[in-house]
Amino acid sequence: MAIVLDINGLSKRYGNIQALDALTLQVEEGSIYGLLGPNGSGKTTTLGMVLDVIRPGGGSFSWFGSSVSKTTKQRIGALLETPNFYPYLTAKRNLQMVAHIKGADSASINRVLDLVGLGTRSNTPFKSFSLGMKQRLAIGAAMLNDPEVLVLDEPTNGLDPQGIAEVRDLILRIAAQGKTIILASHLLDEVEKVCTHMAVLRSGKLMANGSVGDMLAAQEQLFICAAALEPVLALLERLPYVAQFRPEKEGVLLTLSEGYTSQDINRDMFAQDIVLSQLIVRRKSLEAQFMEIIKN
Amino acid sequence: MHLLRLELYKIVPYRTFWAILGIFMLLVFLIFYSVHDITINNTKLGSANYQFPEIWLKLTYVSSFFNTLLGILVIVLVSDEFTFRTFRQQLIDGLSRLELVLAKFYVILGLAAICTVFLLLLGLFFGLRHSLDTSMGAIAKHADALFYYFLQAVGFMSLAMLIGFFIKKSGLAIIAFISFVLVLEPIIRSQIPDRIDKFFPTKVLHSLTPMPVQQLFDQATSPTELLTPGWAVLPALLYIGLFLAGSYLLLKLRDM
Repeated sequence: MAIVLDINGLSKRYGNIQALDALTLQVEEGSIYGLLGPNGSGKTTTLGMVLDVIRPGGGSFSWFGSSVSKTTKQRIGALLETPNFYPYLTAKRNLQMVAHIKGADSASINRVLDLVGLGTRSNTPFKSFSLGMKQRLAIGAAMLNDPEVLVLDEPTNGLDPQGIAEVRDLILRIAAQGKTIILASHLLDEVEKVCTHMAVLRSGKLMANGSVGDMLAAQEQLFICAAALEPVLALLERLPYVAQFRPEKEGVLLTLSEGYTSQDINRDMFAQDIVLSQLIVRRKSLEAQFMEIIKN
Repeated sequence: MHLLRLELYKIVPYRTFWAILGIFMLLVFLIFYSVHDITINNTKLGSANYQFPEIWLKLTYVSSFFNTLLGILVIVLVSDEFTFRTFRQQLIDGLSRLELVLAKFYVILGLAAICTVFLLLLGLFFGLRHSLDTSMGAIAKHADALFYYFLQAVGFMSLAMLIGFFIKKSGLAIIAFISFVLVLEPIIRSQIPDRIDKFFPTKVLHSLTPMPVQQLFDQATSPTELLTPGWAVLPALLYIGLFLAGSYLLLKLRDM
C-alpha cells in the first residue's frame, strides 16, 4: 500500500504549551484513519500543519511523497474545525468559488450538492443554513474535484443525532469509493464506527496507533465462581487456552486465547467435576480501553 | 485573471462593498457639485471651479480626502476573510499566501481604476457644461492629474490592506488606519524637518494631488515642503511595493 501522508517528528509549541510533541505516523492509501484524543490533544494542530495553515514548529511531513504544494492540495479535500464560507453567498456560489480555486468543472458543483443532500437548497444563502447543513456543505466542498484524500476535523461536532448519523453515513459512502479519509474526533464511538486505523493523542503525544481491530480487539473477560476456588485455580493453570487469570474476591477473572469461548471453560470444568456457580462474560468496554490508553 | 475572477465572485453580490463605493461616489459628486456656490471676496467662484484644465487638479485634490473611505473598504474586504476564515480555507483548497495578497491587490487596482474613471466622467460632465475653453488641448492639459490620483488611491488602499492583514479585526484596523493617516504620522512629521518628512508615506501620497492654490495657502500659513507629483511617483511606487511585501510577510510568518 502506498503511503498517502507521512508525518515525521512533527512538533508545535504555543508559548509554554507543547501542542504537539514529535508526532510520527503514516496514513496508508485507502484507509480511514482516525485521530482520536480529548479536546486540546493536538488533533487540529496536526491537521492544520499538514494542511499548510499552521507553521510547523519542527519535524516534517509529506503528501504522496512530496512536500505540500498546489499539486498536492488539489488531490486533497479538507474541512478544518469549522465550515468556512461567505455567509452572504448562496451554497452554489460558495461552491463555485471553491471549484474555481481547485480547478474543478462546474458540473461537479451540482453533483456534490446532491451527494450531501443540499441539491434543493443550492440557492439559499450560507448564513441561513443549520449547523448540520453547513457541515455537509463543507464536506461537499471538500469533495469537489474528486480528491483522493479527504481530511475531516470533527465533522460531527455540534450536530444533533440525526445530523451525526447523516454525516457518518456520508463518510462511509465516500470511503466505499476507495478514498483515503483522515478523521479527527474526540468521540471514540465515532472512530470505532467509521475508521480502519487510528492514532490516539493526548497532550500532543502519540499514545498508541494501529488498526482499530487490533487496538480495540473486543477482549472478552470471564468471571467465574465456584464453591471452592483451589481446584478451579489448579485447573486454570493447566488449560492451555487460558491467556491469563487473576483471583478476585469471590471468584476468578480470566481472559481466553482467541477462538475459545466461555463454553470451553464450562465444559472442561464440568469434566473435572467442578461445578461453577457463576459464569459471566464481561466485554471490556471501549471506553475503558480508551481511558486506559490515555491514562498511561 | 484567475485571481481577479475569484474576487469578483465574492464582491459582486456583496452589498457592503457597493454601499461603501456608492457613498464614496456620492460624496465626491456632492462636494464637487457644491463648490459652484462658494463665494470669496464677494465674487462668486461659480463656474470658475469647472474650467479646463484646472478642473482636473481641483477634482483630484478634493477626491483625495475620500481615499480614507476606499481604505476602509479594503480593510473590510481583508478582515472579512479573517472573520469568515475563508483565507484559511482558500489556503487549504490550493491558493498560496502570495496569491491571497495578489488577489486583494488586484481588487485595489480595480477599485482605483473605477474611481479614476468616475473622476474622469465627473470632470468631463462639469467641465463640458461650464468651461469656457473646451478644446481638446485644454481638456487634456492637466489630465495627468488623474494618473497621479490613481497612484494615490492605490497607495492608500495598499496601506489599508497591510493594516488589515496585520490587525485582522475590521473595527480595530479601521481605527488604526485612520489614526495613522490623520494623527500618528502628522505628529511624527511635526518633529522632523521638512526635507526628510516629505518622504513619509502619507505625505508622499498626498503630494501626488497637491492643493491647486497652494501658493495662496502658503502665504497665509507657514509653507510646508512637498515633492512635486512627478517626483512623488517613484517613492509612492516603492511604498506600495513595501506594503505588499509586508502583507505577504505577515501571512508567511503567522499561523492562519
